[in-house]
Amino acid sequence: MPIGVYVCHCGLNIAGVLNMEELKRFAESLPDVTVARDLQFSCSDIGQEQIQKDIAEFKLDRVVVAACSPRLHEPTFRRAISKAGLNPYMLEMANIREQCSWVHMDQPAMATEKAKDLIRMGVAKAALLRPLEPESIPVSKYVLVIGGGVAGIAAALDMADAGLHVFLVERRPTIGGYMALLTDVFPTNDCSICVLGPKMSEVFNHPDITLFTYSEVLGVEGSVGNFTVSVIKRARYVDEKLCKGCINECAGVCPVEVPSEYDFGIGKRKAIYIAYPQAVPLAATIDPKACIGCGRCEQACPAQAVRLEQEPEDIKLNVGAIIVATGWQPFDASRKEEYGFGRYRDVITTLQMERMLNASGPTKGDVVAPSTGRIADSIAFLQCVGSRDATVGNPYCSRICCMASLKNAQLVKEKYPETDITIYYIDIRACGEGYEEFYLRAQKLGINFVRSRVSRIEEVDGRLFLIFEDTQTAEIKRVHHDMAVLSVGLEPEKNAEVLGNLLGLSRRPDRFFEIAHPKMRPVEAHIDGVFIAGCASGPKEIPISIAQGSAAAAKAIKLLHKGTLELEPTSAYVDPDKCIKCKLCVDICPKKAISVKSPAYVDEAACKGCGSCAAACPVDAINMRFFSDEQILAQVRAATFEKKESPLIVAFLCNWCSYGAADLAGTSRIQYPTNARNIRVMCSARVDPSFVLEALRRGADGVLIAGCRIGECHYRDGNYQALQRVQVLKGVLEKIGLNPGRVKIVWCAASEGEIYAKDLREFIAELKAMGPVGTELKKLKNNRNEGEA
Amino acid sequence: MKLAYYPGCVSQSTGKEMDASTRAVCTALGIEIEELADWNCCGATHVSNELVATGLAARNMAQTDLPIMTACSICYSNLRAAEERLKEPEVLTKVNAVLDKKYRGAEVRHALDVMLEAMPEGDERIVLPLKGLLVAPYYGCLLTRPAGLYSAEFPVILETLIKRLEAEPVDFRKKTACCGGPIFMPQENAADDIAFGILSEAKRAGAEVIVTVCPLCHLMLDAKQKILEQKKGEKIGIPVLYVTQLVGIALGLGPEELGLFMNTVSPMGIVEKAYERMGNES
Repeated sequence: MPIGVYVCHCGLNIAGVLNMEELKRFAESLPDVTVARDLQFSCSDIGQEQIQKDIAEFKLDRVVVAACSPRLHEPTFRRAISKAGLNPYMLEMANIREQCSWVHMDQPAMATEKAKDLIRMGVAKAALLRPLEPESIPVSKYVLVIGGGVAGIAAALDMADAGLHVFLVERRPTIGGYMALLTDVFPTNDCSICVLGPKMSEVFNHPDITLFTYSEVLGVEGSVGNFTVSVIKRARYVDEKLCKGCINECAGVCPVEVPSEYDFGIGKRKAIYIAYPQAVPLAATIDPKACIGCGRCEQACPAQAVRLEQEPEDIKLNVGAIIVATGWQPFDASRKEEYGFGRYRDVITTLQMERMLNASGPTKGDVVAPSTGRIADSIAFLQCVGSRDATVGNPYCSRICCMASLKNAQLVKEKYPETDITIYYIDIRACGEGYEEFYLRAQKLGINFVRSRVSRIEEVDGRLFLIFEDTQTAEIKRVHHDMAVLSVGLEPEKNAEVLGNLLGLSRRPDRFFEIAHPKMRPVEAHIDGVFIAGCASGPKEIPISIAQGSAAAAKAIKLLHKGTLELEPTSAYVDPDKCIKCKLCVDICPKKAISVKSPAYVDEAACKGCGSCAAACPVDAINMRFFSDEQILAQVRAATFEKKESPLIVAFLCNWCSYGAADLAGTSRIQYPTNARNIRVMCSARVDPSFVLEALRRGADGVLIAGCRIGECHYRDGNYQALQRVQVLKGVLEKIGLNPGRVKIVWCAASEGEIYAKDLREFIAELKAMGPVGTELKKLKNNRNEGEA
Repeated sequence: MKLAYYPGCVSQSTGKEMDASTRAVCTALGIEIEELADWNCCGATHVSNELVATGLAARNMAQTDLPIMTACSICYSNLRAAEERLKEPEVLTKVNAVLDKKYRGAEVRHALDVMLEAMPEGDERIVLPLKGLLVAPYYGCLLTRPAGLYSAEFPVILETLIKRLEAEPVDFRKKTACCGGPIFMPQENAADDIAFGILSEAKRAGAEVIVTVCPLCHLMLDAKQKILEQKKGEKIGIPVLYVTQLVGIALGLGPEELGLFMNTVSPMGIVEKAYERMGNES
């Protein structure tokens, strides 16, 4: 296998420290190396052409470039060799700039020796490279949107307009979500249903949207590009297509009245009902829990649409991507017992207030105290009920409640200027375009603001009293109001928990679905092909939910519009003869890519190549197509081939964070000793304990494993898995008589070059104190001998 | 029923009547109690250092495999809170590292709930039913916290017990309000206002006696009652009994056994009244 090695000067960046001539000659001496050259700038056109020329002339089948970090120019050289007819994966880079010449500027001789080792390691790995073909798989151009609130609607419409076909699954009998139930919405106080209603009908009428209401997702299989989803469409006991939505005919004769969930307990509906006049689809539903089966509606229906014998329907969908827009649920105000919600009739929630203010709501827009039915003269709004409150397990801010109360207070004040309104708040959070102005407007309207978290509400002889400390005057007060409105916070929708498990979504400590990166990937889930929009990933106001719906749609379009998907050929694969079906890999895979159907099977579309399964497999039945066991072991052996350092450290750095930190130390010219020989792995979880043992066996004095900071793993929790393995490994070392301190695991973010250098310096000092590897074994032996003597 | 008994420090000082009545009632109800051999502070003295408080509580709880009963709400709350915290593996490891006898889980019960279980409805051992006696059920803050077993704002277990003795619980609005005890040292005036507010509310509600489950509440309402009356220029004159004392009276136990003479506001009036009422009925 003819290998070409190219040692790059990078101007003086490398050549200013390292001895290029010596490196070139060293490279020539290595096995399988047919040609070695030093190039001024290997990444330049001239450099690339030289490599291409050599490939043709010397029939090279693999190339090692000793230059900068592969994170910078690996794509460049892959392109270059592939133009010359080589498989792009037949390239290996030795990082002699960021991780050598730039960080050892004052030790040129030692740095040159380190660079030789890095080149030797590169050549050793290159010899084991195999050509890999990115696989292209056909993908479905159908998309599933789960949840028909405003975020789901935005996503569905954008994708359908762009030519994908959308299945929209909604749990309730109508789409529209919470937004459809609100009265006017901030910060412009336009009517909520007036702006949402047209979008809801557009969804209904769009030729590229298939709507499943009163339906739930029961199962999800497959992976990006090809998910199979089972949906159950519950029986609404009414033929959706025949029903004209006249509702008065059937509901008028229905003898059963129950509280309406769409009015949050303050209004009523019949057993046969339509959620609200603008519901989509505009079709009646019979509530099986309330219905007594009298059949009067069936007789009354002029369209003969009632179907008391209707059965639920099972539906199977094949989709390429899934958008989760499952939304939120209001905090249960009765959990804050001190406010007496559910005990005192005049204590209500924001959502009940929204329905009261709504012209088509149960009070037709009148704001009345429920106990008397009279217009309330004085209203208190209590903020942060179920938010920013550790006692109920919700330390987070629900983000919309300040604005919602400001808005409702304004609406009441405009309608009843004489009403006395007080908002009790911790902080008013009015951050958004036009929001602060909205707050000022509320102040100008004469709404009172008291900075206080109300401690309790008492009802004495039918009158409500708020007890609180006014923290601006430091006075404890007891004040009467006719009505108290609890600004309930937003919690994750409980009904979405099962769905989250089906999809393998992770949750943050606040229980909302976690997005792939808190800043950079705001609508992507950890699972490929799954996107999250709206309040499913945390409380959000309407414009942000819409923006996220559209963003998720754009991501799905980008993924599916070509009809094919190119897969990185870096996945794991299983040797079926070795697999013992222990299922360890199934549990640890962060992408849910492995299933055990005797034997284990890796879905290579879902696998992201972290390699944790390969490290965990107790019988080495799993290997990686790239970063294979053999390649990494070859690097370990090359790094320990000739021991030029004391202590000598073999370091495994995860591609995303710590390798980046080591590169950053280079670009920042942070100087540290030359003792470490770095091996790049995709994730710290890739480090198989056998790699560590091999390094120590071959004379490395210590092994460093560096991963992303805990909680920041690029895959999910690979660093945590690595930590667990290291802890077990330390036990093993102790048993065989080696100092467990010879293995060290550290965390550094890609921005923490200084921390990487510090960790390394510390480790070197620790190893110096321990002495060369094996010192402890000798001592042990001596002690034993003395004991025997 | 056999339980481990954790008396708590108050049993040795201001709450001797709490301890005496607890032991007497347990004997009368056939509840076998075994005092922890080497008990220490429940953790109340170190509440500002959660780990130390948890460790102190754990050392007590590690001494027995029996459910642990205490009559003091402060001890109850601290032991329960520790029990919750010790479910965290990290806390458990830290605490067990310094304990000789390791903590392996515990069940903590308040005497109130133990008595209620041991004394079914219509129990014939209730020889002096407290018919018509108007009782203010005063929970204070710690019986219901950490939350979980009882509603923190609207508990009813005391009312259930009072009814079982055939007495009548009054509608007592401040039943879960703070007694002022925790701020008695740094803010005496504020503490006095709070305690007096509770006494006035009991008076307004028409209570003949206040029943409490906590020695600090008892101290604030009973021991301080006369001083508060003088300070506020208003007569209250309502005896304050530990719940164990009230149960003891209904079980026909003597005032000595129940430590009734140790109470500051004498409860003998209501005892005599109860006997009179029973005499009139028979």
